[in-house]
Amino acid sequence: MYKVKSWQTGIGLVAMVLSIIVVLQLRTELKIGATLPTRRVGELSQMFKNQSLQLKKYELEISDLRNQLNNYDRDREITRLKMAAGLVPLAGKGLRITLSDSEKKLKDYEDPTFYIVHYSTLELLVNELWAAGAEAVAVNGYRVGNTSGFSCAGTTILIDTKRLAPPYLIDVIGDPRNLKNALMMRGGFVDTEILAFDLKFEIQEENEETITVPAYKGSISFEYAKPAEEEEAKK
Amino acid sequence: MLIPIICAVIGVLVGIFLPFDIPINFVQYTAIAILTALDAIFGGIRAQLERKFNFYRFISSFFTNAALAALLAYLGNLLGVDIYMGAVVAFSIRLFQNLSIIREELFDRFWWSHANGRSKDV
Repeated sequence: MYKVKSWQTGIGLVAMVLSIIVVLQLRTELKIGATLPTRRVGELSQMFKNQSLQLKKYELEISDLRNQLNNYDRDREITRLKMAAGLVPLAGKGLRITLSDSEKKLKDYEDPTFYIVHYSTLELLVNELWAAGAEAVAVNGYRVGNTSGFSCAGTTILIDTKRLAPPYLIDVIGDPRNLKNALMMRGGFVDTEILAFDLKFEIQEENEETITVPAYKGSISFEYAKPAEEEEAKK
Repeated sequence: MLIPIICAVIGVLVGIFLPFDIPINFVQYTAIAILTALDAIFGGIRAQLERKFNFYRFISSFFTNAALAALLAYLGNLLGVDIYMGAVVAFSIRLFQNLSIIREELFDRFWWSHANGRSKDV
């Protein structure tokens, strides 16, 4: 019988341990696959940790920015709506129009009512300005709002409830050239109704942003109107 | 020389049929275990060739070496520094030294006459 020597036993034991470990490691390596060498796992997990931390940071930043954007949009929207409703004073370039009664010495046969400024003259003039693309109009420092109306009470002209006295100063914000051209159109309103009767009419173009229009001061209460869906409003 | 080979084959079979895997976190420990075992084998062969092999010294040195290397690896993991590289380098150097001594010993024994003298390459 072959006598087992002690060195063979020792080395054999260690060799067995070695081969077990080698095979196990080989199995692990094969299982994970060629794509991921195990020695890179530590590095990769570190990278992953870093990246996920960064991702979290960026996500926070995104939500922060999104909030900011929402607020920004809302602020801008509010400002825009206020501007549209005439609730904020505005400034810009535009026209400054002066209108007052004619100073012409009238002949006997001429009817004086044609030679004074009526509320309808003002109203039509403002209407003309809207049609020409005016963005904001104020008459004698009173903003013409969405629901503003001109009326006359005896000898004075009212806009909403404010009395106007001549000369009528009309501040308009808009493209000065376009507004002026539209107003002075031959055969247009100014030509046939104002200049034809020698009413005093002056247009001053302001190409710098010097025209200021105050905020609308009339009532903006809605007693009868309610918001409605667009489909309902169509019916 | 037969028994160690048989043992190695048994080890391979055991390794193949063992039902668990080495967790990925233990790669460093695996590397060190392999090196320790290789070192022990080469050291044992060398000691046997020099006729001073002692079973208990062999086994105890294997386990203390493994324990120290594992401790180094653990410490390295704890501190985030690759301290276990020290053990790896030390084992590797010893591995090559032992290999060269074994080689010389074998050459002396089988091929070279004493007239040629000992080779000096280490």
